[in-house]
Amino acid sequence: MNKKSFFNVEGLNKSFAGLKAVNDVSMHIETGEILGLIGPNGSGKTTAINIMTGMIKRDSGKITIDEHNIGDMPAYLVPVYGLVRTYQTIRLFKSMTCLENAMMGAIGVGIGRRAASEIAGELLEEVGLGESIGLPAERLTFRDQRLLEIARALAASPKFLLLDEPAAGLNEEETDMLLSLLKTLPGSRNIGILIVDHDMRLIMNLCNRLQVLNYGRTIAEGLPKDVQKNPEVVNAYLGSTAS
Amino acid sequence: MSTHRHFLSNCEAAPAARPQSTSSYFSFANKWSTVVLLISGLVAIGAFIWWLNIPFIEDIFTSSAITLTMVLGFQLYMGNSGILNWSYIGYAGIGAFASAIFSMEPAVKTMQIPTMYPFLIKLHLPFSLALIAGALTAMAVAALVAWPLMRLSDSVGAITQFALLIVFNVVLSQWSQVTNGPRTFTLGGLRYTTLWVALGVASVVLAAVFYFKESPVGLKLRATRDDRHAARSSGINLVSTRYIGYITSAFIGGLAGGLFSHYILSITAASFYLHDLFVILSMLVIGGSMSVSGAFFGTLLVTLARQGLRQVELGLTRSGFEASGATEIVLAILMIVFLIWRPNGITGGEELTWNSIRRRLKSFTGRKKQSAKSQQQED
Repeated sequence: MNKKSFFNVEGLNKSFAGLKAVNDVSMHIETGEILGLIGPNGSGKTTAINIMTGMIKRDSGKITIDEHNIGDMPAYLVPVYGLVRTYQTIRLFKSMTCLENAMMGAIGVGIGRRAASEIAGELLEEVGLGESIGLPAERLTFRDQRLLEIARALAASPKFLLLDEPAAGLNEEETDMLLSLLKTLPGSRNIGILIVDHDMRLIMNLCNRLQVLNYGRTIAEGLPKDVQKNPEVVNAYLGSTAS
Repeated sequence: MSTHRHFLSNCEAAPAARPQSTSSYFSFANKWSTVVLLISGLVAIGAFIWWLNIPFIEDIFTSSAITLTMVLGFQLYMGNSGILNWSYIGYAGIGAFASAIFSMEPAVKTMQIPTMYPFLIKLHLPFSLALIAGALTAMAVAALVAWPLMRLSDSVGAITQFALLIVFNVVLSQWSQVTNGPRTFTLGGLRYTTLWVALGVASVVLAAVFYFKESPVGLKLRATRDDRHAARSSGINLVSTRYIGYITSAFIGGLAGGLFSHYILSITAASFYLHDLFVILSMLVIGGSMSVSGAFFGTLLVTLARQGLRQVELGLTRSGFEASGATEIVLAILMIVFLIWRPNGITGGEELTWNSIRRRLKSFTGRKKQSAKSQQQED
C-alpha cells in the first residue's frame, strides 16, 4: 500500500493594493485524489496556485506537505518537497528538445542526468509524445505542448500536481484525451491533483471533490454533484455571466 | 512559430525524413560526434598549416586558435544563459596580465615593470601552471563580484555587465604596480603559446564547453534562458545556476587571455576592451550563439573574412582609395544582417553531428538524382 501524503493550506491571505485576491482560503488534498478548484474569472484561483508554489509571497497562512512547511521556501525548493505545477499559458523551454524539457523536471529535483533521461523517455511515451522526443518544444502542436508540460511536471515524481487550466485552448476530443490521461494518474503514480479549469465537463468527470472560490473566498466545497446544486455557486456563476 | 532552415540540418523541416533515424539520432555517440568532428577538423587544419611551414599563415592559425578558445568561453555563458556578457573580455584581460606576472622571471619583471609590488615580483611559475593560475585569478575575481548580478536578466543584466567591464578596464589600465598602468606591459620572455599549445588548449576547451552544455548545470542554464518562471517552478535555482556558468566562463576567458599574452608578448588594457569584444561577439552571432558548433564555425568564417577583407582594404588603400576600417564596417553590417534574418546564426543553434552531415549529404545527392532524372526525361 502506498504511503499517503497530505497537502494542507490553512488561512491563506493575499492582497494586491488593498484588494483581497485570496481571502482566508484553506484547502486539503491527499495523494490519490483529485480536487477541482473552480470559480468565475478573477476569483483568485491562479493567485492561489502562484502562492502555493512560492511564485508570489503570501501575506499570511500556512502551507505544508506532511510535516514540511513549504510556504517559507523559495520557489525552486518547492518541487523537491513534492509539489509541481503547470501554467495556464504554456511555459516550455522552447529551443530545447522534448526529451530535454521533460528531463528538466527530474534534474530540477536533483535526479542525475542518465536517470533523468530514462524517466523522461518513459513519460513521453506514456503521454504519447514518443515520436517527437528529438524535436524542439516550439515545433509541437498546442496540444502536444500541453502534454509535454504535464510530462515535465511528472518527471519530478511529485506527490502533488497543480494544473492551471490544462484544457484551455483544447477542443473536445483533445480534452477527452487529457481527461483519460489525468484520471489514471492518482492511482498509477500515487499523486494528488489540484485542477483549475473552466471546462465543467472535464471538472465534473474528473474530480472527486470540488472547491469553489468567488472574490478570493471559498463559497462551497464538497462532492461535484452537491456543489453543482449549491445556490451560492449557481448565483456566482450566473452573476458573473450576466455582468 | 518559426520554421528555420539552416545549413547543418537542412531537411529538419521535412518530417518524412525523421522517423527512421530516431533511435540512432539520440545515441550517445551521435551527440558526442560533434566534439570528435570539430576537434579533428581543428587538428587537421593545424597539422596542414604546420606542414606548410609558412610563418605568416602559422601566426594567423595560432591567433585564431586563441580566439576560438575565447569565443568558446563566451559561448558557454552567453549561449546557455542568453545574457550578453560584456565583462567577459575583462576576464580575458585579468587572465592575460595575471598569467604573465606568474610566468615572468623575477629579474625580467624588475626590469620591465619597476613599479611592481615586490611580492608580485617574487612569484614565478612554469608556463603551464602560470596559465592555469591566471585563469583561476580571473575565475576568483568573477566569483567575488558576480553573485549579486546573477538575478538580473535581459537588458538590465547586460547593462550591469557593461558597467563591470568599464571597472575592469579602468583598473587594468591604471594599476601601475600590477599592470604597468597605461604603458605597454612587455613580457620579455619566450613565446610560449606555439601553434600546438594554442591548438591543444582550444581542443580541450571545446570538449569541456560541449560537456558543460550537456551537463545538468548546462541544461539548467539553458532552461533559465528559455523560460525563467518555468525553470524556477521546475526546481532550478536561477542565481546559483547562472553563477556556476559565469565563473566557468570567466575561467576559460582567463585561459584564453593567458594564451594571448604569451603569444603577442606585449599587452595593454586596451587589448581587452570593446574592439575585441566586438570581434568575438560577431563571431558568436554569425556562427550561432546557442551551439558550440556555432562558436567554432563563427570563429572560422569571421577569421577568414577578416583576413580576406584586410587584403582588399590594403589593396584599395595602396591604389589611392582610403579604405582603412572597412573590415570592421563590413563585419558590423554582417552582424546586423544576421540578427535580422538569421538570429541563430549559420548553424541555427544546432550542433554539427554525424547525422546532420548524413542527412545533408542525402538531401544533396537526392536533389542531384532528381535533376538527373528530370534531364533524362527531357531527353
